[in-house]
Amino acid sequence: MPGMTSDAGEFGSLSVVPHSLDAQAARVYPLRTHRATPPFARLSISWARGNTLRVTLLQSDDAVSEQSVGGEVVEVKLAEADGGEISDARWRRIAYGSVAPFALLQSRKSSIDSFHYEKDWWEHVMDYSKEISSLLGNSKSSATPMIEDPKTVLRAVEEPTSVKAAWELLEMFYADKQSQTWIPERLLDWLADFDCLFSGTQPTVHSKLVAFQKELVTIQAVENHPEYWEVISSALAIGWLDVVVKLLRLHGSYMYDQLGSREIENGLVEAVALLISQMPRLRPDLPTEKLGECYNTKPEFMKAWEKWRGQITKLDCSAFWLQCDHQQTRVGLKNMLQIMLGNASLLSNVTCHWMELYISHFLYIRPFTVGLESMYSLAEKCMHLKPISNRHKLMGLALGILEENTEVVLAECSRSFGPWMITHALELLTAGSAQAENLLHEEQSKLGGICIEELHRLTYAQILSSHALTWNIAPIYLTSCMKQGMGLLENLLYNQPVQHHQVLLKSIEICRLNGLDRVSDDIMKIAGVHYWKHGKKGSAVFWLQQAQDDVRLNRIAKHLFDFVGKSVSDESFKQWEGMIELLGTESKTAGGLEFLKKYRDFRRSLQQVQDGITTDNARKAAEALISLMRNPSTPQQFWLPLLYDSLKLLNWKESPLLNVSETNILLNKLQELSLAKLLPGFVASDLPSDALKSVRLALATNLGRAFLLD
Amino acid sequence: MLSLSHTHTHTHQKPKPQRPDPKTPKNHQLHHSTMAITSSHPIQIHKLPQHTYIDALRWLPHLSTFTRHIILATYDSDTSTPLLQTCTLSSPSQTTPSLTPQSTAAAPSRITSLKVCPSPSAPSKPLVAAATVSGAVLFYSADLVNGSLNFEFSVPEKGFHSGPVSGIDLNDNGLECVSVGEDGRVNLVNLSVNKGFRRVFDSNGLVSYSSVKWASPFEFVTGAFGFGLHLWDQRKPGGPVALFKDNWTGGTASGIVHSIDIHPSRKHTCLAGGSYGTVFAWDTRWPKKPILLSGLGVNENPHANSLVESDIWEVQYDNYTHPSNINSSSSSKILPAMICSEDGILAVIEQGEEPTELLAEPCAINSFDIDRQNPSDVMCSLEWESIAIITRP
Repeated sequence: MPGMTSDAGEFGSLSVVPHSLDAQAARVYPLRTHRATPPFARLSISWARGNTLRVTLLQSDDAVSEQSVGGEVVEVKLAEADGGEISDARWRRIAYGSVAPFALLQSRKSSIDSFHYEKDWWEHVMDYSKEISSLLGNSKSSATPMIEDPKTVLRAVEEPTSVKAAWELLEMFYADKQSQTWIPERLLDWLADFDCLFSGTQPTVHSKLVAFQKELVTIQAVENHPEYWEVISSALAIGWLDVVVKLLRLHGSYMYDQLGSREIENGLVEAVALLISQMPRLRPDLPTEKLGECYNTKPEFMKAWEKWRGQITKLDCSAFWLQCDHQQTRVGLKNMLQIMLGNASLLSNVTCHWMELYISHFLYIRPFTVGLESMYSLAEKCMHLKPISNRHKLMGLALGILEENTEVVLAECSRSFGPWMITHALELLTAGSAQAENLLHEEQSKLGGICIEELHRLTYAQILSSHALTWNIAPIYLTSCMKQGMGLLENLLYNQPVQHHQVLLKSIEICRLNGLDRVSDDIMKIAGVHYWKHGKKGSAVFWLQQAQDDVRLNRIAKHLFDFVGKSVSDESFKQWEGMIELLGTESKTAGGLEFLKKYRDFRRSLQQVQDGITTDNARKAAEALISLMRNPSTPQQFWLPLLYDSLKLLNWKESPLLNVSETNILLNKLQELSLAKLLPGFVASDLPSDALKSVRLALATNLGRAFLLD
Repeated sequence: MLSLSHTHTHTHQKPKPQRPDPKTPKNHQLHHSTMAITSSHPIQIHKLPQHTYIDALRWLPHLSTFTRHIILATYDSDTSTPLLQTCTLSSPSQTTPSLTPQSTAAAPSRITSLKVCPSPSAPSKPLVAAATVSGAVLFYSADLVNGSLNFEFSVPEKGFHSGPVSGIDLNDNGLECVSVGEDGRVNLVNLSVNKGFRRVFDSNGLVSYSSVKWASPFEFVTGAFGFGLHLWDQRKPGGPVALFKDNWTGGTASGIVHSIDIHPSRKHTCLAGGSYGTVFAWDTRWPKKPILLSGLGVNENPHANSLVESDIWEVQYDNYTHPSNINSSSSSKILPAMICSEDGILAVIEQGEEPTELLAEPCAINSFDIDRQNPSDVMCSLEWESIAIITRP
């Protein structure tokens, strides 16, 4: 990072969360050209959308021939060296899926009245949280096998993601008000789902179990193996009771052929298994496959717990132990009883990292721990007992939460889980703690007057904007930003490429939904000019008309008339029909293009005159001619061709079609035209050289006849 | 907290106000996985998330009752590769249908329009035509038995189209393909003999065409900007034989026709859908009297309902009839039509009836296709990289 190298050490010591600035190894991106071939004379690199580079390769002059191309533009996508836990496509799916819950929550937030705010708000937040959580993957396996293999102690589930783990952690502490009374049990469930995530960086009970399960297939008498008892104790310590009981049932004394000889041993194993499955739990309910007996209220639980511990002590002092011949079984079971009685040093031995130890303390030593303060001090104690060499990002987050340090939680979220996570998790944080809400909504002068919440939303929107498939969901997040949102939304819309028809329509749609009529008009103008430049005159006129841009319509009208003027035969005029249809009714903005419509009508009536020879038709055509010549928008270069085309009307045999004043108008126009000839910028028509003369003669004749008629 | 002034912005895409229609699947949990609406629901909807953007999709003709084939035009944004892909769909009426890719063919650029026509000579090898952004039309035969997609030929010759081809349509007999483009050209590709193309018209950019549909072996209709429809007849060259221009908007707002459909049994009625939720029928025998089925001008017409306010991307006549309402179709009425829209609605609209919503999504529905041989099955492509399969009872 530039400007940071000199004081990096100091920076590190000041930072809330340690941030590694390791120099990453250089990556090589091959350029895949299709047509252009090396050597290249020039190369230019610029940023395209997102983290894509646009590389322009230009061939040297001598390499360019008739067949080959002069160069090529290739795009190079800069990607993370490791693909990350979640693929790009999956991230996009998460981004798509989170739009609806986010928008729903925002609209609820603005519609809810302050009276109900405190009372029901967390329920809305929970709805939101559940939906987001479901996007992040299923932690529970969907289908249970019909016939369970007794040797499958751990069921294979879809590998959970740490994003999901982090989300559940935040939900548990901030959003779910119902679980506040039994947070230790929630943490236990959480660790059961996500302990495997820690396996990558440190030994875990989960990895121990997985390793043991692999061996299990080949092992004959499990009780003779020390790992068996080790794994059982570990699983018991962190409360995976169903796994423990399942493992205990694999004990050799359950075999039919041995039941007789090992009756007492089997009785002890079963007694321990029974005690384990009857363990009182301070929680409202348990999933069916989990073991234990639930107690909702503290007094009930306390009573049951004391009773249960009494049973353990009683079993511990039982005389049957002396009759148990199998030494490993005796030691192993005794150990388990000690764990259940809360032997701290034993718990520390059988657990792998501090979070597991933490859970075991909740289960067997301090089941009544409540309040974040005492939870945090217990966590500190556990960390002290089991120091960590490699701190996992989830541990950092969990500590931040327990410490009630919003800054740390924010920093861990954004550092480890990215902008999507922090943007969406802020909703949980603000719902869960008043302190966090104040911090997040306070306007920060060092952030240019926006609050932290807005900052993160803007960052996330920026990331969405950088991808062609997600840019159109960025507006949802931008419009939820009070200060900078609308401005950046306008920027985003202006930056969209108008040459892509679909993108153009999408931009206009977003403008419509957000009431950005001005931006919409601007985009349509840009599109109009773009299409005009690329020869798509029809589209250009359409978009400029939609934008009601008279100025540009008038300007392009001049060019269009040049185009008409040069090819003003009847056949070629056919292709103008579609364009004239587009101009539509009078009420619509057409600017100078209105002339085209009148011109078309005039030509039609003239055509009829040439086809048939009724005076009525001719009179109509003459009227059209006068109205055209009177109209100031009729371009000058059309005057002479118009009059020349209407020679037949001027020389109408039966009676003069134009009266004196009308003829005078036309004569004046001719006069004006001959004066204009002297001015620069005059467009000469490609009519025969005697055209002017014959028109003048016809007009003069007509004037004479009109005088006589008067 | 957000100010009230910003609340309206959240109606963008989602959340939509809950419509009273009980048939509407509004289950937000549908996003991520394939799941069926509860069994009591008459319409089954399955979402199949993809990892690519779906530009277009079509059913391929049935070969057997058990396997269904579809063709997708996809665009992988990570690798910037456009693909044509045939897939087999395990029976859509099953609880969890799945798509299995069968064969793929690389396309030179993104596909703007995809059409399928049964091959008259070989029923197991339907003809597929795909128009591209780069201005070419590609022809393939999809071999359903061996599961391959064979490239036949393409028309990227000089002067075919400059810029994107915006619409194509295959003739019923699969012998001719008409193509239109933003450049204002109308071309006919002959598939039987010389595999070349013939220019029908070139407006030199004065008109940009957006869609096209055959009406008869000689006639076709093109859609353009300004809700313009042109009827062409190959026997009368030189220009369109009839023009239609909207007259209901009163000049306030004009739009673009995005899609046209013509029913094979009513060749004189052309159905068009486009901007502002507009769907109208144009009877070429009464070219000045369009019948507005949905859209902006419906206030004057109490029988039409404006379900959609944004662009209608595709229209197709819906020849599916539920046994219960088979009697209600009169010959003078416009046949029911299915639409899909930018604001995420897939619905059936019928003249003088309340529209029936099949799907209401938080994202745009870009295209859909009704299975011609089994019209109860519909599939549509969602903007957010997924496909929805809808099975009506």
